[in-house]
Amino acid sequence: MVDALGEVHRVLAPGGILVDARPDSRVLAYAERQKARGFQLFGVVNTSRAELVNDRASDRAIARVVREGLFKRRRRGRLWYRIHFAGLAALRQYLWEHLRFVRRAKWIVDPATRRRYSNEQFILRRAVRYELLEARPTK
Amino acid sequence: MRHLVTEGRCNLHANVSTDTARLVGDVGRHVPALSLTFRPRPVDELRAWGGARLVRGKRILDLGCGDGRFALGLAPFAKRVDGLDPDVEAIAAAKKNAREAGARNARFAVGAAQRLPYPDGAFDVVILSWTL
Repeated sequence: MVDALGEVHRVLAPGGILVDARPDSRVLAYAERQKARGFQLFGVVNTSRAELVNDRASDRAIARVVREGLFKRRRRGRLWYRIHFAGLAALRQYLWEHLRFVRRAKWIVDPATRRRYSNEQFILRRAVRYELLEARPTK
Repeated sequence: MRHLVTEGRCNLHANVSTDTARLVGDVGRHVPALSLTFRPRPVDELRAWGGARLVRGKRILDLGCGDGRFALGLAPFAKRVDGLDPDVEAIAAAKKNAREAGARNARFAVGAAQRLPYPDGAFDVVILSWTL
């Protein structure tokens, strides 16, 4: 990863910008039922352990190239967005097949409520974090 | 059975079956593939990063570009967009998507991030979108 970031620094013009954007494993994802107005929280979804390890490795790689003076941190933030599902079954299937998440949501509503609304529209609200880094001239 | 809908640009982001893709709603958006369904729209990500001024008139490299979803989203603003990905099939899809979108300033190539086939200082912005 650090090698790749070194290559990125090489192909960037001095003062050029590196954008690092990836799913934000520091926060939960939220499974919600879409209502006529707004959303009802049904459960939360954790990031899988393996992906947490990967994310930390990426963080360390970025920290290292900043420490080595290749890049300077400029700005960072978080973007929330929604993935829409036709029903609860579709949401569950997505979670089951998606390696980034643990396979099951942690439901905060009772099974009867889940059954009652299972055919309604659901969303998964998740976060992407981003950071802009400026390429510093090579000394 | 698990193929087709590649959400991400690398193995961090799992493939999703066609069954899931069929069941998922909100698939009405345009180009280029179902990956859009699972990711923020390029314009939304760009807005969060600071808006079009970040890429307007610039030379952009999208590392791990996959099917070109993001690169093609930036192409209307940028001077030139290059996409690089180790996945041969993804690059073929990106080239096809670029042709269909009429993006003449977008180029795609197969390659690895550890050895970039570009000269020093060739880009103003490099994007690692769901890649690192």
